[in-house]
Amino acid sequence: MTEFRIQAQPPTGRVIRTINLDTADERDVAQLVAGVADADLVVMIVGAGNDAHAAAIIGEACSARRVMTHTAIVRAAHATDEALSRTLAQVRPWSLMVVVANEDDYVNDILKSFR
Amino acid sequence: MLSQEQNDRLTRTGPGTPLGRLFRSYWIPALLSAELPEPDCPPVRVRLLSERMIAFRDSEGRLGLLDEFCAHRGVSLWFGRNEECGLRCSYHGWKYDVTGQCVDMPNEPEHSAFARKVRLKSYPLAERGGVLWTYMGPPASQPPLPEYEFATVAAAHSFVSKRQQECNWLQAMEGGIDSSHVSFLHRSDLKTDPLFKGTRGNRYNLSDTRPVFEVVESDGGLYIGARRNAEHGDYYWRITQWVMPSYTMIPPRGGHPIHGHFWIPIDDENCWTWSFDYHPTRALTDAEVAAMRDGKGIHVKYVPGTYRPLANKDNDYLMDRVAQREGRTFSGIEGFAMQDASLQESMGPIVDRTKETLVSTDSGIIMARQRLLRAVRALEESGATPPGVDTAHQRVRSASVVLPSDQSYQDAAREALIAHPGVEPATV
Repeated sequence: MTEFRIQAQPPTGRVIRTINLDTADERDVAQLVAGVADADLVVMIVGAGNDAHAAAIIGEACSARRVMTHTAIVRAAHATDEALSRTLAQVRPWSLMVVVANEDDYVNDILKSFR
Repeated sequence: MLSQEQNDRLTRTGPGTPLGRLFRSYWIPALLSAELPEPDCPPVRVRLLSERMIAFRDSEGRLGLLDEFCAHRGVSLWFGRNEECGLRCSYHGWKYDVTGQCVDMPNEPEHSAFARKVRLKSYPLAERGGVLWTYMGPPASQPPLPEYEFATVAAAHSFVSKRQQECNWLQAMEGGIDSSHVSFLHRSDLKTDPLFKGTRGNRYNLSDTRPVFEVVESDGGLYIGARRNAEHGDYYWRITQWVMPSYTMIPPRGGHPIHGHFWIPIDDENCWTWSFDYHPTRALTDAEVAAMRDGKGIHVKYVPGTYRPLANKDNDYLMDRVAQREGRTFSGIEGFAMQDASLQESMGPIVDRTKETLVSTDSGIIMARQRLLRAVRALEESGATPPGVDTAHQRVRSASVVLPSDQSYQDAAREALIAHPGVEPATV
């Protein structure tokens, strides 16, 4: 492998902002929205069945500034299909990528993958 | 990106490797049935998961898959004589049955019992759906035979081919779950290929090149939903299935057959790309089969007498810069299969994933890697049966549907994602 490619890491300088919608309050959301202009990617995290109305506020700000939005929905074993659908309906209009995972440590792995 | 350690873990499948153990939990395709067409036909060399084997069909039609090399002095049994219920080494005449048991040792004394003590390692080989499948794991854990729908429909409903791909299995498989490349790399072929063209879904594909994705864990792997705008505010969804470890189903288009792939490691730097087309409720037409044999759709033309694609890296995949310039192909390479394979092989034998710059639309790939890593760890730590071994995980379908914008594909297309025998596929 080392013979195949120049051994230099491609730089990105990508700025990723993350917010946990389950724990964020209005101030957290406002703070994120204020920083959206500098971001390349905004990642929202929410539990299936939980309220994700803030996705609309964040999504609108991202849409206006052409910032990519990604939502990770963590589905606990007890979360019903209906609960998942409710959360999906809230985030879908504002997310250019949605991942539904059954374990929350997937979220860390996704973020690490973006580096 | 992945760490070097993770990349090694996901790309090495030889004996004793963590992912090799995972692959050895499943029945995997080894040969086309047509490669061993009749009793006592010539034996065929098989290399899978970095192991070299010989396959043969004995005089009674029984199938065998053995260590390629004679126990005596290591000669390849490919030179052997397939006769009278066994494969006889051409060097000194030792003969093996389909279980690998040595049954004759003519250079030993006439009544010697030594042959009974000699047995080559063998694996089961079973025929289903025009494919010979093998299971290379511990006999005590051997699962039931596979039930992927393409392998269970009537023979006239399906067509299966394979081609050698000169790169690691994972970068090939990752192409199969990367829906966002279709609107670029394959855009011309959607309009011209006889096995793809002329569907309403293609219009959505070509008019909305910025799909939005929803990746959802399924019992056996992942659903990868790609959403594009349709009429009246509705969404056109294309839902790809990935079943662990390496089975992918492309969403169907109109009345065309459903197609998909298996990606099976030959060794760490080569893999078999298996390509299947089938229709759940009708026989394939003569025109469809002729197109598949001619390398259309996801199939290829071959170097005669081999399973190596005619367009390969030694001839720059027959690059046509004029076609590229004129927009007849996006990359200058002809056909879906080699458009994909040429780019995947260009990454090198094993792509260095420490240098990637993944973006959100790569989330299907990210999730697939993480599911594989978790399954490998669970197998190592507790011997947990990996997802995809259960035949219920294999009885799935891809789908393409138009849904109102407020409906989840996971809910609205739930039944369409299950393979119900005799039921029409959900396709646009």
